[in-house]
Amino acid sequence: MNFFKKKKKQPEPEQTQNRGSLTFQELMQKLSASADFSTVKQSSVSTFYISYFKTLVNPEFVHRDLLRYITDIPLQDLDDIQKHLPLDDITKTNDVHDISNKVTEGYILIQMNKEDTECLLVPSLSTENRQISIPETEFSVVGPKEAFVESLDTNLNLIRKRLPIPEFTVKEVRVGKLTKTRVAIIYIDGIADSENVNTAIQRVNDIEYDHIVDSSYINQMISDNGNSPFPQLIDTERPDRVASVLAEGKIAIMADGSPHALTGPTTIVEFFSAFEDYFLNWVLASTIRLIRLMGVMFSVLSSPLYVAVLTFHYEMIPENLLATLVASRNDIPFPPILEAIILELSIELLREAGARLPTKVGQTIGIVGGIVIGTAAVQAGLTSNVLLIIVSLAALASFTTPVYQMSNTIRLLRFPFLLSAQFLGVLGVVICFAFILSHLLKLTSLGRPYIAPLYPLRTNDLKDALIRMPFSSQNNRPISLRTSDKKRMNKKRATEKHDIED
Amino acid sequence: MSQISENKQISPYMVFYMITTMQVGVGILGFERYIAKSAGHDAWIAVVLGGLSFNIIIWMIYRILLKEKTDIIGVHRSLFGRWIGGLLSVLLLLYFSSIVITILRTYIEVIQIWVFPQLGTEVIAIIFLFLAYSYVIGGIRVVAGLAVLGFFITIPLFLLKYYALKSGHYSNLLPFFEHSITEILAATKGVTLNYVGFELILIYLPFLKQPEKSQKWAHYGNFFTIFTYLITIVVSFVYYNQEQLQHTIWATLTLWKIVDLPFAQRFEYAGIALWLFVILPNVCIGLWSVSRGLHRLFKIKQKSALRALLLVVFTACILVIDRQQIDMMNNTVSKVGFYILYLYIPFLFVTQLIFTKVRKTKNG
Repeated sequence: MNFFKKKKKQPEPEQTQNRGSLTFQELMQKLSASADFSTVKQSSVSTFYISYFKTLVNPEFVHRDLLRYITDIPLQDLDDIQKHLPLDDITKTNDVHDISNKVTEGYILIQMNKEDTECLLVPSLSTENRQISIPETEFSVVGPKEAFVESLDTNLNLIRKRLPIPEFTVKEVRVGKLTKTRVAIIYIDGIADSENVNTAIQRVNDIEYDHIVDSSYINQMISDNGNSPFPQLIDTERPDRVASVLAEGKIAIMADGSPHALTGPTTIVEFFSAFEDYFLNWVLASTIRLIRLMGVMFSVLSSPLYVAVLTFHYEMIPENLLATLVASRNDIPFPPILEAIILELSIELLREAGARLPTKVGQTIGIVGGIVIGTAAVQAGLTSNVLLIIVSLAALASFTTPVYQMSNTIRLLRFPFLLSAQFLGVLGVVICFAFILSHLLKLTSLGRPYIAPLYPLRTNDLKDALIRMPFSSQNNRPISLRTSDKKRMNKKRATEKHDIED
Repeated sequence: MSQISENKQISPYMVFYMITTMQVGVGILGFERYIAKSAGHDAWIAVVLGGLSFNIIIWMIYRILLKEKTDIIGVHRSLFGRWIGGLLSVLLLLYFSSIVITILRTYIEVIQIWVFPQLGTEVIAIIFLFLAYSYVIGGIRVVAGLAVLGFFITIPLFLLKYYALKSGHYSNLLPFFEHSITEILAATKGVTLNYVGFELILIYLPFLKQPEKSQKWAHYGNFFTIFTYLITIVVSFVYYNQEQLQHTIWATLTLWKIVDLPFAQRFEYAGIALWLFVILPNVCIGLWSVSRGLHRLFKIKQKSALRALLLVVFTACILVIDRQQIDMMNNTVSKVGFYILYLYIPFLFVTQLIFTKVRKTKNG
């Protein structure tokens, strides 16, 4: 017992504190240990030292924008240098902690003498960026074709240019002991509920981990129930989608180095709405959304129902259909559950293999697996044709889910359903559904109910849930978000009727 | 009512779903036979009369509770003192638990008769109570959510009535008013079991935001139940003749058998399974109310009260073995419910009226 107590009482000393207690000389020593850290002495007119990481700072910048202004001028002290440099955000400091942070981020350090602890820090961030490209996981035929990249500033630019208003607010927090990842919490002041904003900021602040390399880390760490298979924040790569949900009163969280934004509080129906739904006419969009929902239901329930009916309730099969089923299952040596599990697992294998392999090989695997193995399995008498059709349709249907994380959840959900179908037939399927429902009813996203427009029942929010009503009827922001500004537009003006010849 | 924080409360309209689901339980699957025994094809009048009379009871319950702004346990305490009031509350909670047991055990019987004859009572009971636990632990909001979702999940089962209507004989309903008033009143008494359950509002009313506003929803809920029963019994009367009906224990359930879709027939398997979403809210609201009551009475944690209660319900379920016992249980609970609703609630109403009058004169 004592042993444990001791451990608890002495928390790990934080690395940042360690670094803070360094002296300036020790810091310089530590930095010079890296091969890419260079210190150059300039002594044309007056003498000074500049040090920087060659890998973080563009040498061209050093010569073109820095040295050109100060080498030919007599300089007395650091203030002189600062006066002559045409750059913003130059700081003069002797705080070792600050120096250490900034130099490792790509600031240039300027000293008059090597022993001086006071120095100038000149920003010159030149991180390598990928070009903005087409969204790949959330592709849409119509609409904007921009996707986020790995740089937070570029990403913020992509959103801000869509919302050119002063209320657009970005709160920045640094998370991760080693990575010190910049995490931005983005919202529109005056629309987003301050309680939601505070929840988000507090949760991000509370993150205690050494490295954050992607926003999906944050997603898992700040979600309300970490043990739930259901994602509780939407993960999107589309700046247009982020701009639109911000306007709804939601909050976005972005991490530097991640091409994805997290948005919340979200509801389960949002996971089944593709952003393209808003680019199409509302009739089409609603129909497609309903088809997608039915696809999800089919994907989760079809093979469990097959197992349930064939194992326990064959009376449910009408005579005409029975002949087809019997013919298909005639030579199969396995019970339905085994047959179903084998097929489901092989589809999962194909999917996983396809996802891990390079695109071109992945396609081949898909064809080989899907067609060749499928046909062979049926001909060998291992599985029935009917089930093969059901399982592959179910797999297809699960791909219609627009949010990738949700389609993973749907993949997983099928298995408990299958097992309970084998245990108690249709009743088992319903019991399994009831268990999932109890989980969903208790789930929250940033403290707001997860299945919101359905329960608590919000008729106003149902206009953009299972179906999407026209823009003219969406005059209120979602009620479940408790936005500070509830009106989206002036309904009266939007629906003003004109007389025939007006 | 002030002690319940707002984020634990539910909207007033939620009481609509909670009342309807509590009233429509397992009874609807086979209640036709019992009331047709006394009033024949005029029994539908009894359904309407019985249902309408409960509006008065709902009104009384609201008056009783709103006056003191508390639940029935608080009312008992203030009217009858700590000991007698407490005893009355315990008796009421016992009755509520017996409703839960009756509903659950009858549903298990339906499963055993229609779907899995070999399946032990204890297996289904355990699964069911575990399921109920996972809901009740989430509090009244989750339980109410189940009532709402259960309502919408099971409402499409109404469509199956189409098959019965297609092959029905509408002349079965004629002539109207062939039975005497006493016969119809006897049938009305038999209807009671089908409407009981809504009195659980005695416990959960303080959990509604603006309880005054919720009263109209409670009445709407009752009206919807009347509508449901009316449709059900009319369809059964149209499909069966009276002779047949007397030999059909589960008349509504049997009607699902004739459903014939191109891809599925014998719909009762699916129907019974889906009926879980009618039974589960019943059981959950019941369990929640009783455990809440125990918590209020004995100052124990609601969680531990719930666990103990689950154990009791489970034991009771496996102790009831055959059809006779289940029938007896149903009859007893029905009778007790009848007296509680028609005698005890009005009694309480009058007593409270007198008490307040007396207090007023005393005070000034």
